[in-house]
Amino acid sequence: MLNQIAQAIVLGGYYALIACGLSFMLSVMRVINLAHGSLLVLGGYFLWYLGENYQVSPFVGLLALVPLLALAGWALQRFLLERSARGGELLPILTTFGLSIVLDNLLFEQFGADTRSLAPYIGDLAWDSFELPGGIFVGQIGVLTLVAAIVLLGGLQLFLSRTGTGKAIRATAEDPDTAGIVGIDARKASAIASAIAVGSIGVASAALGMRATFDAYAGGAQLLFAFEATIIGGAGSLWGTLIGGIVLALAQTAGAAIHPQGFLIGGHLAFILVLFARFLFLPGEFTYRLRRIAGLAK
Amino acid sequence: MTTNILNISRRGFVSASIAGTAALALGGRGLAADAPKLKVGFISPRTGPLAGFGQTDGYVLEKVRETLAKGVTLGGKAYAVEILDRDTQSDPSRAGQLAKDLINNDGIDMMLVISTPEVINPVSDACEAAGVPCLSTVMPWEAWYFGRGAKPGQPSPFKWTYHFGFGVDEFYKAYVSQWSLIETNKKVGVMYPNDADGNAIRAALAPKLAAAGFTIIDPGPYEDGTTDYSSQIALFKKEKVEIFNTFPIPPDFAAFWRQAAQQGLHKQVKIVQVAKTGLFPSDVEALGSLGNKIAGACYWHKAFPYKSPLTGLSGTDLADGYEAKTGKEWTQQLGATMSLFDAGFAALNKASDAKDKASVAKSLAGLNTETMIGKVDFTSGPFPNVSPGPIIGGQWVKSQNPKFKYDFVVTENATDKNVPVAAKLQPYNA
Repeated sequence: MLNQIAQAIVLGGYYALIACGLSFMLSVMRVINLAHGSLLVLGGYFLWYLGENYQVSPFVGLLALVPLLALAGWALQRFLLERSARGGELLPILTTFGLSIVLDNLLFEQFGADTRSLAPYIGDLAWDSFELPGGIFVGQIGVLTLVAAIVLLGGLQLFLSRTGTGKAIRATAEDPDTAGIVGIDARKASAIASAIAVGSIGVASAALGMRATFDAYAGGAQLLFAFEATIIGGAGSLWGTLIGGIVLALAQTAGAAIHPQGFLIGGHLAFILVLFARFLFLPGEFTYRLRRIAGLAK
Repeated sequence: MTTNILNISRRGFVSASIAGTAALALGGRGLAADAPKLKVGFISPRTGPLAGFGQTDGYVLEKVRETLAKGVTLGGKAYAVEILDRDTQSDPSRAGQLAKDLINNDGIDMMLVISTPEVINPVSDACEAAGVPCLSTVMPWEAWYFGRGAKPGQPSPFKWTYHFGFGVDEFYKAYVSQWSLIETNKKVGVMYPNDADGNAIRAALAPKLAAAGFTIIDPGPYEDGTTDYSSQIALFKKEKVEIFNTFPIPPDFAAFWRQAAQQGLHKQVKIVQVAKTGLFPSDVEALGSLGNKIAGACYWHKAFPYKSPLTGLSGTDLADGYEAKTGKEWTQQLGATMSLFDAGFAALNKASDAKDKASVAKSLAGLNTETMIGKVDFTSGPFPNVSPGPIIGGQWVKSQNPKFKYDFVVTENATDKNVPVAAKLQPYNA
């Protein structure tokens, strides 16, 4: 039992990490980035390509991947989301949906059907473990992922609350027009936010590739986990996302303990329960945001 | 990996499309000049989650089309042949639609369909309903025969559809043979998911293995896409299993086996016998150092001693040709796809009239021929529409070829004694 809980917390760290970019995008830009999973896989292929052809460790590869993805995030905002946002609140979401389909199929064209993983380039780290008291083993890569999630989410939270740029991004998210009046360049703030959100996906790509495998169409499942963790955690609170990831993993583990088939269902149930509970009992900011995204409120 | 898709300019794309269309039109006219035209549909998963199966189809189609380019003589009569290949995108409902489209709009004379229940069953059903002869391979035949509504003890309900290749019984024979190669405590931990294959294997294979003296430790079905397996791993460790067997989708196995290694299960298990994953080299490469000495099974290997009667290629010809052309390691799917064309054209050849569907279906029913995977014989199978084929046990070991990471070597041949055993099974934990 203790073992399962320990494994769930470690897994929750992974969910929180993959949810980080999605949560940031949703909280400060009010866009659900449906291309999140595809970008995650794209990053995985980038790291795999460096490892396979140039024997570059994924950890080193991240130094190149994160800036490149950040650039892609900036371009995504400038050239796609900003333009589609003029057509209404729903259009940016549809744009990211289209982008995900394009990305998936481009990846398939380029890399084919082979299952890929970053495990071959990190040696035994892929399956080494720490022994905790009580004969509990936790994977080193899982612990590393959990630490990465805490550092990344915490860092972003600090950035938003403490720095001038962070405050400009928050102001833009609340009300771009008013932010403009006080001299904030809303376009720039949004582009920076998007760059950060997409850049952070790179770290999640490394985690995905090291703990499991991916192929061109693997993004959908990751998007689902990331979305569930984001919503459970409160759609827009970064620390909440960490809690959301761990709650999702605990719910899955509880589901699996009841019945081996209950793993995914446990997670989905927790997601739906939290969603409805929020709608019914907490008619505040969260509900307002969701309604706005769904086009139900202005 | 050499093509750069991002390089295509709009103008380049348009002119390439026009050139392609023109070439197709010209090619069609050239063939249609004198001989009557035979149309053969070929449906496989080339993109989507099942794309690993369809990856080699382009090369096999190229070889088959080379052979058929000048037309073919079937039953003493010359024909021009057109193969209409379609991609299901791994979507069962699309598979059914493609089949109906080929039948109704293209007027195909015969259907060939390959790989997994998600592709084959809907296509076979469409052909059965429309009265078009259909031949398939690469899925357990039980899931094809019983999965489409046939009942044991009753006459076969199928008139137009035929299937050849491995079934549960072949897995049973291969596993018993393979697992006797190493001394173990005969305790088998199994991970069978809650999907068509997993449930069929749990119901049909596990009891037979138990009857053969193996103790089956089954934690119960799990859902595809599960990301944490700590309870199953704990059970296997507690029960001290020395053999492990699973039929998962490939990403699930990679996640499971790494977690198992984190918990130390890999030091205890002597045979890691996987199916459905570990079919193709990339599945094993993705496991990193944990991929070494994983045992698997194959429906074809380049060491099979049979030639393709249609193209005249031997197993090594086909595998080497594919590696030279694509730079990728050969896979067992190459020979399976080739055998489907071998058997299909053998049936067309033996039909009294290759353009007459009833006569082709009759020819299929009496088909007894050799293909790249060995014998395909519908006259002596367990059911009139089924011809069981081999499944050969083997093991992934470090590749001799520096270009590739792992090679699959044959370690037992219970289901086809003509296949040479190349190596001794090594314990996984040694």
